[in-house]
Amino acid sequence: MTVGVEYYVLLSMALFSIGLFGVLTRRNALMFLMSVELMLNAANINLIAFAFYHGNLTGQVFALFAMALAAAEVAVGLGIILVLYRNFRDVDVTVPTTMRW
Amino acid sequence: MAVFQLAEWTAMAPALILAGTALALFVFDSISPHSTNRSLLAGTAAGGALASLAVAVWFIVAGVGTPTVDGGLGEITVLSDQFVVDQMALYFMIIVAIVTALIVVASYDYLVGHAYQAEYYSLVVLAATGMSMMAAANSLVTIFIALELASLPSYALVAILKDNRGSVEAGLKYFLIGALSSAIFLYGISLVYGATGHLQLDNIAEVIAAGDADPYGGLLGLGILMLIGGFAFKTASVPFHFWAPDAYEGAPAPISGFLSSASKAAGFVILFRVFTEAFPLGDQMNALIGFDWTVAFIILAIVTMTVGNFAAATQNNVKRMLAYSSIGHAGYALIGVAGLSADGGELVMGAAMMHLLVYGFMNTGAFLFVALAEHWGVGRTFEDYNGLSRQAPIACAAMAVFMFSLAGIPPFGGFFSKFFLFMGALEASAANTAMLAVAAALVVNSALSLYYYSRLVKALWIEEPATTRDRLARPTGLYAAIVVAAVMTVLILPGFGPVVDAALDAAVAALG
Repeated sequence: MTVGVEYYVLLSMALFSIGLFGVLTRRNALMFLMSVELMLNAANINLIAFAFYHGNLTGQVFALFAMALAAAEVAVGLGIILVLYRNFRDVDVTVPTTMRW
Repeated sequence: MAVFQLAEWTAMAPALILAGTALALFVFDSISPHSTNRSLLAGTAAGGALASLAVAVWFIVAGVGTPTVDGGLGEITVLSDQFVVDQMALYFMIIVAIVTALIVVASYDYLVGHAYQAEYYSLVVLAATGMSMMAAANSLVTIFIALELASLPSYALVAILKDNRGSVEAGLKYFLIGALSSAIFLYGISLVYGATGHLQLDNIAEVIAAGDADPYGGLLGLGILMLIGGFAFKTASVPFHFWAPDAYEGAPAPISGFLSSASKAAGFVILFRVFTEAFPLGDQMNALIGFDWTVAFIILAIVTMTVGNFAAATQNNVKRMLAYSSIGHAGYALIGVAGLSADGGELVMGAAMMHLLVYGFMNTGAFLFVALAEHWGVGRTFEDYNGLSRQAPIACAAMAVFMFSLAGIPPFGGFFSKFFLFMGALEASAANTAMLAVAAALVVNSALSLYYYSRLVKALWIEEPATTRDRLARPTGLYAAIVVAAVMTVLILPGFGPVVDAALDAAVAALG
């Protein structure tokens, strides 16, 4: 009935890798944000699965904090993407290139 | 000892004062949203930062964090050990408060005509609150929350010039890399939690020492590598350094100074705390995770200082040169972690802490000079700075002090901290011969850095101006902040004794 903790870790690692793949390949800033969200939620799965495994609640409580912080991060990120759109008329992350080394 | 009668939570006062100041600024902003009363807003923010500084200095003098056997009050823990106020925490709270005060005073002039005054100051003070809390955070939970509290306002601050394409681009790049690295950092935390079952640093160390984490060595090692990635972002070190040049160049110059001094110092304090408290060095740890984590930091330190200094030497834009030099200095401070060993490393870690304090003055001052140049509108490249000393000798003399101190020329503070780093690296080489390579890299890079720092001094003092300029304005706030930073960079020499003692005591306490 109970699922072994290693399957949860496999799931979260798969989710994390999908998110990382999205971050590396997507050019749309909003898709980038969603991919980062996948990576954060992969960590949340880990935290909750390990909390169950270790029998303490630390991980679950931290997962709640992590969700709140992810929401705050999205709020700031959407604001920045909005001013990006106003200035560059696009949300493609490869368009703003005024600074290059 | 008056501190005795205070409740334990008051030990966090330096951070709480900053939080209160930020909220007071928000209240003022909600009562009068369109107010541009710069004196009141900047005054409140500066008052809060100075109060935080005063309380932190008072605590450290009163003996908070000094071990009780030496007549001190010992470490004070808050919220059942989630925060710990010891010497290292107070030391870094002092750095954050100093930089915040300098930045806020300078912003008084920089922000003339800006529409979002109250927002700007409250975001600066909120970010400073986060950095101050990072100094005291003692569990991976509080470290992550404080790190986000410092990061989120910083993203907004970098992009605060909403109609300036450079500022928005910088904000976007900073945010994207920041979001990615915080996701990696959180995943690292979850893996460490999975391997040990705890998030509090001393509990993690206990579990590892007891051998209960032995079946999960791979998870723990991967988690530690991911944590290093998160720290590298916050301290602008390789491999997460590439946001720094763009973010610092595009951001308003006082914010660049704030991020490259205070934010970097805060990143280093959590780095020091996590790696001294949670992951004990020794054969057991190496066998468990399959590698020696000091090796990772030795490589990162050498690569970071080399990348930063070589890239800085090729720049034409002064602000971008300072951004790369700030990456180089992150490499110097990383020596403090690279030199740790199972039974030593106090000297090298104390030296890194000294360097971060001196750096707080000299680097903030250098960025504030760039802010002054932007305020004048003279341009951004080395050529544009030619001959500025004719019109503004005081500011240019201060800039020369910052440059020579950053390069590590003897009469200034930067020389002493680099000297201690060098001595510490040599001492640490007894335990780990690779530290000799680090010490050599430090010397070579310092010599290289003299080239581009003195190039700027030459432009300011020796070159002829390319165009004739009108008389340059003398904004009071910017001048005051620059002069204070320059005076402190020089005065820190006779005052270096207490700084050395404070840093070494803090390092010994953290390692003990």
